[in-house]
Amino acid sequence: MWSYRTLIVNLAQRDLKARYKKSFLGWAWSLINPATTLGIYTVVFGVFLGAVAPVAGNGRTQSFALYLFCALVAWNFFSGTVNISIQTFTSAGPLLTRTYFPPEAPMLAGLTTVAIQAVLEVGILFAFMIGFGNVSWTFVLVLPILFMLACFAFGIGLVFGLGNVRYRDVNYLVGIALQVLFYATPIVYSLDIVPAAWRRVLELNPLTAYTYSMRQAVYELALPTATNWLMMGVSAAVSLVVGWWIFGKYAPLVIEEL
Amino acid sequence: MSAISIDGVSKKFRLQTDKAHSVKELVTRRDRSTDHDSFWALRDVSFEIPEGSMYALVGHNGSGKSTLLRCMAGIYRPTEGQVKVDGRISTLLELGAGFHPDLTGRENVYMNATILGMSKKQIDASFDEIVGFAGVEEFIDSPVKIYSSGMYVRLGFSVAVHVDPEILIVDEVIAVGDAEFQRKCFDHLYALRKKGVTIVVVTHGLSTVESMCDGAAWLDHGVLQLTGTGPEVVQAYLGKVNAAEREEREAADTESRAEGLGAKEDVTIAKVEFLDEDGFSSRVGFHRKPLTIRIWYEAVRPVPSPVFGIALYSSSNVHLTGTNTKIDAFGTPTIEGKGYVDLSMDALQLTPGDYELTVAISDEFIQHNFDRREREWRLTVREGDSATPEGLMDLRGHWSAGA
Repeated sequence: MWSYRTLIVNLAQRDLKARYKKSFLGWAWSLINPATTLGIYTVVFGVFLGAVAPVAGNGRTQSFALYLFCALVAWNFFSGTVNISIQTFTSAGPLLTRTYFPPEAPMLAGLTTVAIQAVLEVGILFAFMIGFGNVSWTFVLVLPILFMLACFAFGIGLVFGLGNVRYRDVNYLVGIALQVLFYATPIVYSLDIVPAAWRRVLELNPLTAYTYSMRQAVYELALPTATNWLMMGVSAAVSLVVGWWIFGKYAPLVIEEL
Repeated sequence: MSAISIDGVSKKFRLQTDKAHSVKELVTRRDRSTDHDSFWALRDVSFEIPEGSMYALVGHNGSGKSTLLRCMAGIYRPTEGQVKVDGRISTLLELGAGFHPDLTGRENVYMNATILGMSKKQIDASFDEIVGFAGVEEFIDSPVKIYSSGMYVRLGFSVAVHVDPEILIVDEVIAVGDAEFQRKCFDHLYALRKKGVTIVVVTHGLSTVESMCDGAAWLDHGVLQLTGTGPEVVQAYLGKVNAAEREEREAADTESRAEGLGAKEDVTIAKVEFLDEDGFSSRVGFHRKPLTIRIWYEAVRPVPSPVFGIALYSSSNVHLTGTNTKIDAFGTPTIEGKGYVDLSMDALQLTPGDYELTVAISDEFIQHNFDRREREWRLTVREGDSATPEGLMDLRGHWSAGA
């Protein structure tokens, strides 16, 4: 795969370049979207429903918007990766049936574009945190957290991308599943407000570990728990290994149907 | 040493239907590959493509040529058997595959060349050459969606041949370009072959196969029929195609005759004869000897100034010549009943070989064919008394020298 890095970079570049061609605001759109979501959730949950965020790690700041933003960055990265994987495999069809290169390459290129988006969002998140004086070395933890999240999401994306070629139902199914998952993950709320019985269930969701860890590292300026690290490590490894294996085995067969 | 060796390759495809799979099927059927929903695109194909040769795949549409190319390129995995490839492959299976319409020619060249395995440095080095060969310098910074289809092909071809491949696989794409570009392409392919590049092409241009290819393979319905030198394979393939066409024609003729019983045409071709210099009917003509083609007609009612026409084809399907009484300014009188029209030649200009003759009778404006028989008569030409020239025609010119 390493020898195909130029190809992966080029494919990613092509997608990014083509994405905002002919648009006036261009790249700004990639920020306007998450900003709007953040705004809506802040108003609906923070203002209308009166959700309150805990006090941040610096002991002064208390902002629901920032608390939300930490988890939203992780969520956007996850859902973005799953969605682009599904799109990429079908849209790379004309290429894959006409030239030989590993089908993993366009998938990795898709992941790259989403990762760039995630880096942008994290940059903005950090900028706000620095503005509020809520800074600590724990920011560094974002790197391993997002890396594991990438592996976790990519493994799932590979399998769904593959499945979508034969069963277009996958696309619709994933749309609904993501919606359910969004609310089954502590993003617009904190795990503390969930009744104990339900908390058990939510804790089984690997994404809970990712969003919780992001909040710990960037908002609370504390360490994620060992359980969280374990949850993230195992989910990332299992998802990537299984997803990669299935993809490697079935992609050549599925390409014939593209 | 063979660049590509194909060993017992079979390829089965699942037939795709609109409503691909019901949930029930998903749950109940363990083995989803019955023979009902699959077909074999290739069946036990084996042959070798020697290194540094130009090799052609011929066959009618749907004979499995493109599937085989994709197996060679590694895009499809054979269901059975294996393909061994020795060397770096570049493919040109479809025009501008991988061109993104919104990106500029420059961006697409970089993109496409990377897909074909070039590094950034290599592309930088040969970029001008690529663009120059395609002749799209002016438009290289415009999005490729504004390109004409010719420009598209040229740029795609140019990238594919400049990636310095050891093996180049080309599907029937060159045909899209204009004549000049096609010639340029073949020149370039020829130059590549001289450098030792193995070239595999799918083409319907049989004259190309005959004149340029070292070897060829003929596929029919996924089954290998013949491998051999270009001319060998082309001859065999043409023989089959001609035979099939003749059958089809005969079937159509019987059909139209059956239909025509009620409404009979005013005039029909009764028979066609070849007459030798003594006026005797013969199936054989001799090079540079007199020959007369006699067309017998039968007119059920008077037909004013009908036009009699003939066309000559070589056995390799080349339309050699054709003429009619109007072209030759022969005023046919009004005809009725039985009779004949002769075309007499003092010296037959065809070289020895087999030829086929089409004959037609139409109205004076050549608007309506009363009767037309496609290549229904066969003329064999034998050597006459004089030496035989090369090719199909004898020009019968006169040499002279001057100073």
